[in-house]
Amino acid sequence: MAIETALRDIPGTNVQMFVFFSEILGGLVLDADGEGLGRLADFKVKLGELFPKVASLAVKLRRRKQLMEIDWSDIEICNTQTIRLKPGAAGHFRPLEAGPDEILLRDELLDKQVVDTLGAKIERVNDIHLIIVHQDLRLVHVDFGARGILRRLGWLRGVDKMTNWLFAYQTEERLISWKFVQPLLSDPVKRHLKLNVSARKLHEIHPSDLADIIEELDSVNRSTIFRALDTQTAALTLEEMDDTKIQVSLIVSAPVEHASDILDEMAPDEATDLLADLPEEKKRKLIQTMEKPSREAVEALLKYREGTAGSIMTKDFFSVPGTMTVAQAVEEFRKTTCPLESVAYLYITDGSGRMAGVCTLRHLIIADRDAPLAGLMNTRLIKIDPEAKIGSVTDLFRKYRFLALPVVDGDDRLQGLITLKDILQEELEE
Amino acid sequence: MWRRLLANPRLRGLFLFLSVAGPGIITSNVDNDAGGIATYSMAGAHFGYNLLWSLLPIMLALIIVQEMSSRMGVVTGKGLSDLIRERFGVKITVYLLIALVLTNFGNVIAEFAGVASSLEIFHVSKYVSVPVAAVLVWLLVVKGTYRSVEKVFLYACVFYVTYIVAGFLAKPDWAAVGGTLVAPSFKLSSESLGMIVGLVGTTIAPWMQFYLQAAIVEKNVAAKDYKWSRLDVIIGSIVVTVVAGFIILTCAATLFKAGIRVETAADAAQALRPLAGRYCAALFAFGLLNASLFAASILPLSTAFVVCEAMGWENGVDKKFSEAPQFYGLYTMLILLGGGIILLPKIPLFPVMYVSQVLNGVVLPVLLVFMILLINNKKLMGEHVNGRVYNAVSWVTVAVLGGLSLVYIGSLLGL
Repeated sequence: MAIETALRDIPGTNVQMFVFFSEILGGLVLDADGEGLGRLADFKVKLGELFPKVASLAVKLRRRKQLMEIDWSDIEICNTQTIRLKPGAAGHFRPLEAGPDEILLRDELLDKQVVDTLGAKIERVNDIHLIIVHQDLRLVHVDFGARGILRRLGWLRGVDKMTNWLFAYQTEERLISWKFVQPLLSDPVKRHLKLNVSARKLHEIHPSDLADIIEELDSVNRSTIFRALDTQTAALTLEEMDDTKIQVSLIVSAPVEHASDILDEMAPDEATDLLADLPEEKKRKLIQTMEKPSREAVEALLKYREGTAGSIMTKDFFSVPGTMTVAQAVEEFRKTTCPLESVAYLYITDGSGRMAGVCTLRHLIIADRDAPLAGLMNTRLIKIDPEAKIGSVTDLFRKYRFLALPVVDGDDRLQGLITLKDILQEELEE
Repeated sequence: MWRRLLANPRLRGLFLFLSVAGPGIITSNVDNDAGGIATYSMAGAHFGYNLLWSLLPIMLALIIVQEMSSRMGVVTGKGLSDLIRERFGVKITVYLLIALVLTNFGNVIAEFAGVASSLEIFHVSKYVSVPVAAVLVWLLVVKGTYRSVEKVFLYACVFYVTYIVAGFLAKPDWAAVGGTLVAPSFKLSSESLGMIVGLVGTTIAPWMQFYLQAAIVEKNVAAKDYKWSRLDVIIGSIVVTVVAGFIILTCAATLFKAGIRVETAADAAQALRPLAGRYCAALFAFGLLNASLFAASILPLSTAFVVCEAMGWENGVDKKFSEAPQFYGLYTMLILLGGGIILLPKIPLFPVMYVSQVLNGVVLPVLLVFMILLINNKKLMGEHVNGRVYNAVSWVTVAVLGGLSLVYIGSLLGL
């Protein structure tokens, strides 16, 4: 199935032959006359294409310590039985060197961890699947399965025989198309390049899965992957993470500009939680570089002590004066650009900006367009003091079963909003 | 209030230490498991205070080896089996892991044997104690999170104090103790050399390096906070040596003086009763129970962790059973079989332990060489590779340890 998809992606395929990397690796390299020169040590692949070509072979020549490289165009035949050079090519060996957009399959991919962007998981590469098309050898699949391990141990045939005999069953291949593979390279130069078409695919993973992947990675790859994300995905991913230590290390290791952009994108309450865990100096610097609206929101939230309603509330709420009509309110709602955390209720203020009542979205839709909001709103309000303990807020949610509750200060002015989601998150963390 | 406390640099240091501490202290203490206690008891009972000095070089070696594991963990953020797979390929890794699983399995059996025999001293049948212990150990990990599990383990470390109390109760001859530490006698017979090799073998085991590194990775220690992890390892190694020293003391002051020979830790506890009193014997037995239970929870866990990590299977105590079937499968199987074998009426315990000890001796030198190669890999460790002097010291340590474990295998195989 996976193989067929791969073939469709390569136009004009006619002659094909699949081969596993482990089956050719270590094979004898012959010159044109059939004289053995050395052993195949690695393939160098130039990235960029969907299914990248093998650019050259790295060979361990006899009596030479250093690996030598020879171009693919100098190769007459390369398959599991024979690897033979073209006539006169034996002099073309040169010391192995890999450019920033080239990777060595054995040194940098085989046995290493990669991100499978299709399954949204980290996997280990057990083998590599190549195809010969139009005289080119291309990288098509990566093998994550048990068969890959068995093949390399030389146990595959034995195990197949046994399982066939016992259960009439054969273990399945787990090949994943290269386009869904994001390699995690250890070379610092290559690490910062988006070499692969699949780098784009990272953004298609749900931020929650992305958060799991990043938490599972080692510290170096963690920040590499994180840096490859666009600001919005990075913000969403950070919000989804459970481990504050990792969140903090990612924000601290990102360049200040980028970090503050990410904080701008995050929901203010989430950003505040994260900032509260940072060292004092870093925190101040980041807040200074943030954009004005989110900076003000965060600064306001940071004033509240941990464990109080104020510290978990969001500043993204929607409120309009009661003198507005339904139509005006709808228009106002349309103009709101910030992503509201809860759209279940809109809060209505009186002439002096104090909290007067609440309407539901349903009201807006079914009520007469010209009716003033003050006539529709519900004035029996459940309000939360910003200094209230989170536990007592939870009790309010349990009792009244609202989707969100407003937080007002002593002067009855709306300060923020606590949503059911915020409370759920607090509860889950305990 | 917390923030103001954290502003104080000295307190901040303490806080940082507490946040990274654990792995080193836990690993070292687990090392004093049923097998370890038996060996220390024998060393005390058969050689008196004479071999006490050997604990000091062993402690140094332990610090050097564990320091490398923890440094690799902090710098690379990867487990040891992970690094071995990536650097040395799947073939070596698989065969190394098979050997490791077998030796760890042998150790798990020994731990359950320790649980059974220590509770038999308190008149609890092994048909009760072993199943209960197995279920407890299994639940602890399957139902817990890493942090809660670690907390339980840290509390378990406190119980090793029983050996220190037992040591005082045995009223050792402190002058003689001081004498042997200040001016050790290096008169080695082939028998005492064998004992020293046994002490080394039981103190520095392959599984420890894997467990320590994995636990450190799990902690997400930043490279700049590495010094605190190192402190953790050093404290752990010192604690384990002190406890081992007190076990030797206890047996030397009582059993050696009376000329009693023992083969297991439970024997030692039984023999202590008429010589050092009821309480000393009870403490000794309780210490054995604690140590066996402790190691029985960590060994299967560490084994499952290491195998899954290298093979690329999902792992970790925070995963659900369905997410990480290989991890929980291997973990459960080790506990089931390990406990089950003890319950068989006529168990051939000796050959199992024998094979496991031999494999232990084979795996350790190989592993140590891999560790040194890895820690000197610039690509991996960057500026944190071994310094020249430190490298020389580590190579010597590794060579001596490797040599000793080969001697040990030789003696086991009767060469």
